Amino acid sequence: MGVDSASMSEARHPAAETSSTAHSYNVRICHWINVVSCVYLLWSGVHIFLDFPELYWGHTGYRGYPAAFRLADWGLSWEEAGALGDRRWGRNYHFTAAWVFLINGLVYVVWNLYASHFRNRMWPARDERTVAHVRAELRDHLRWRSHRRANDSYGTLQKTSYLILIFVFVPLMILTGIAQSPGFTAAMPTLLDMFGGRQTARTLHTIGTLALVLFVVVHVLEVAAAGFFVKVRSMITGK
Amino acid sequence: MSTRMSRRTWLTTSVPALGGLLLTGCSRETFVPPRVRGGLIGAADVLTMSTNRLLLSGQPLAREYSRADVADPFPTWNQTNPRNPEYQRHASEGFKNWRLPITGLVARPRDFSLDEIRRLPARTQITAHICEQGWSAIGEWTGAPLQRVLEEAGGVTPTARYVVIDTFDGWYEGYDLFEVAHAQTILAYGLNGRDLPRGNGAPLRLRVERQCGYKNLKFLKSIRVVDSMAGIGKGTGGINSDFGFHWYAGV
Repeated sequence: MGVDSASMSEARHPAAETSSTAHSYNVRICHWINVVSCVYLLWSGVHIFLDFPELYWGHTGYRGYPAAFRLADWGLSWEEAGALGDRRWGRNYHFTAAWVFLINGLVYVVWNLYASHFRNRMWPARDERTVAHVRAELRDHLRWRSHRRANDSYGTLQKTSYLILIFVFVPLMILTGIAQSPGFTAAMPTLLDMFGGRQTARTLHTIGTLALVLFVVVHVLEVAAAGFFVKVRSMITGK
Repeated sequence: MSTRMSRRTWLTTSVPALGGLLLTGCSRETFVPPRVRGGLIGAADVLTMSTNRLLLSGQPLAREYSRADVADPFPTWNQTNPRNPEYQRHASEGFKNWRLPITGLVARPRDFSLDEIRRLPARTQITAHICEQGWSAIGEWTGAPLQRVLEEAGGVTPTARYVVIDTFDGWYEGYDLFEVAHAQTILAYGLNGRDLPRGNGAPLRLRVERQCGYKNLKFLKSIRVVDSMAGIGKGTGGINSDFGFHWYAGV
C-alpha cells in the first residue's frame, strides 16, 4: 500500500486546511473540562512542589537525605521557593481538580468506547501502520505541514500519541499520584512496589508532569500548524 | 431449585454481613468530614474520604518496613520544643508528673501516667511518616493502641463519635472512631528503640499511619471523647482544617 500521495498533496492544498472532521459533543465537552482541570492540576502541583522543592528515589526522602533533584542547585533557594508555593491552596485544588479530571476522563473513555470512537478514529488503519506512511507523515510534521487525509482528520502519529496518552500515560500519572497517599497505599500496597517507593512515585509524577507539558506544547503547535482558528472553532462548535 | 438455593444462601450470608457493616463502620462520620466545605472542594473532600474508607473497610495495615529502612536520627519538623511552661516543667522532671487525662464520653474518665501507658500491651511498627509537604521517613514506633487506652477508661459510650486530642503546643485534632479502632493507631512513647525524643513529640505522640503527618500530633496533653466537633475550635474538626487543610488527610 504505502503513502496515498494524492490525498497528501490534497492535504497540503490551502482549501483542504479549512475542512475539518466534526468532533462529537462528548469529545468537545470533555476536551474543555479536561483543559480546565489540567490547568488547575498543573498550577496546584507547582505550588505543592515549591513547598518542598526536592525529589528523591525510593521509600525515603526528607531535607538532608541524598536528593535526586534540588531546586536550590538551580538557583532558587528553599526559602525563596517556599515563599512562592502555597501548599494549602495547592493541595485543596490539586485533589479537587484530580476528581474533576478523573470523572471527566472516565465519562470520555466509557462514552467513546460505547460510540466506537477509539476504534473508528484513533486506531490506525492497516495502510497507516507502514514505515513508509509514518516516515512521510514525520517529514510533513518537520516541515511544519499538517498531514491530513481527505476523510480522516487524525494522522497515524497523532492517533498513536493520543492512544498512548489516554491509555498508558494518564493511568500512570494517576497511579504515581495516589502512590504518594498514605490512605490509598494502605489499601493498595502494590502501588508502593509498582514504582519502588513513595518518593520514586513523587519523582516520576513530576517527570510525567514535564512530559505532559511538552505534549501540550507540541499539541498546540500542531493545532497552529493545521490552522489555529479553524481547529479551535471545530473543537468548540463541532463544525 | 438450584437457583432458589443459591438465592437463599446469598440472602442468609449477605443480610448479616450488611447488618455488620451498618453496625460497625457504616456511619456518616466514617465517610464524611465533620464539616463539609462548600463547592467543589467540599465535594472532592467527601469523594476522597468515602473512596478511601470504602477501600480501607477491612482495616488493612499500612506498609510495615524492616529495621534497615529506618531513619535514625529521625528528622524533626515544625515544633520541636513547645515553650508552654507546663510542658517545660514536665520535660525538666523527665515527664514523671505528666498525666494524660481521658475525659468526655467514656464509661470511666481517668488519667494515665506515662508508666501506666507503658504497662499496657505494646505494639511496635516500622512505618513511614508521610508529611503532606512531600517528605517521608521511616521510623520504628512503639506505643499503646489508642483503642486499648480508651478501653482502660471503660470504653466509649454509644453516643461517642470523635476522639479529640489536645497538645502542649496548642494543636488539636479530631479522629473518627473508624480511625481510632485501627490496630496501628497508637499512642507512641518509643522511637527507634529509645524513648521518644523531645524533637519528635515527647513524652507521647499519636500515630495514625494512614493519614498525613499533620494528623500525627506530638506533645500530647489530653484526650476527650465527644459526640460532635461543633463548638471545638472553629468547628471544622481540627486545627489543620481550621486553617483550611483537609480534615481527612489520607491523601
